[in-house]
Amino acid sequence: MPADPSRRRMLALTALGAAGVAGAGGCGRIRPWSAPPTQAPDVDVLAGVIAAERSMISRYRSVISGFPGLGPALTSLLRQHEEHLAQLQGRLVVPPGSPYRPSPSPSGGSQAPAGLPATAAAALAYLRAAERDEAAALVRRLATVTVTPSLAQLMASIGASEASHEAVLASAALLHAPHSAGATAQ
Amino acid sequence: MTQDSALTAALQAVLAAEDAAIFGYGVAGAYLAGTRQAAARACWDDHKSARDTVTAMLAARGARPAAAQAAYRLPFEVRTADRAVALAVYLEDGVTTAYLGVVAAGGPAARQFGALAMQQCAVRAVRWRGASVAFPGIPAAGPRSPQRPERSRSAPPAA
Repeated sequence: MPADPSRRRMLALTALGAAGVAGAGGCGRIRPWSAPPTQAPDVDVLAGVIAAERSMISRYRSVISGFPGLGPALTSLLRQHEEHLAQLQGRLVVPPGSPYRPSPSPSGGSQAPAGLPATAAAALAYLRAAERDEAAALVRRLATVTVTPSLAQLMASIGASEASHEAVLASAALLHAPHSAGATAQ
Repeated sequence: MTQDSALTAALQAVLAAEDAAIFGYGVAGAYLAGTRQAAARACWDDHKSARDTVTAMLAARGARPAAAQAAYRLPFEVRTADRAVALAVYLEDGVTTAYLGVVAAGGPAARQFGALAMQQCAVRAVRWRGASVAFPGIPAAGPRSPQRPERSRSAPPAA
């Protein structure tokens, strides 16, 4: 996973109080850490969503790099993904020395899959599929994980944004049909 | 407020927003023509279907679905096609925000329902706005969190 300066701002959402006090009973002195602190449930979910968002950003950057002609159509979508990532990272804070490290999501790491599609049209289809999959994955996560209401709202809103990106990409695809000139990767 | 009563209240808010959207698309459609009028009609149908779904959900919870009003005050005067399109954007944004309340208030099934409905609203909004937004349903500049100055200039350019 590439170095990310925003990691430095992370601070763990840990159940410090409960873990720190629970083991003290009856032993005459306080043992600060009778058991390792447990993570709040949001942390793992956030880490997975953050990894998926990074993966999406990598895909967009790869496509824009390979097909500069698509830049005007894709830049605003990329920026919105960067806003998603900033909001998600703003909620994940890890204290110095914490053993916690964000782990990549099972549904995708921080890197775009290797191999850029051969044409601009195929690249748009590739991004459309990724947006569709991630919007669906966010809904599945909301139904299967325990998160705070505010994180549930953020995940739902990001999912709605990604579903709307697919609609934007569908419109862009009309302008970059396979017969269009300059549709080969550079 | 229990989760149960919070979800009922959130669904009532969605019902009110859907009723307002049905009324509003009726107005918007009158100022649109051709494919845009057909799109307004399709959105009107979508919102009627959603209203029926939410009405049934409230009834199943033993709640009395709030009745629609005979007329709604529009957020601005609509006398042109451009204003009709702006109204459609406003309506979809309002309904999206209402479903966001369901996401916060409900358990897993309600969250899933609300999130999927938000996706449908956001896709319809693209049709009218001509662009996507980063945080559908969350008013103003996105979710509240510490703002980093370097991010504040990342608003997408107008499409």
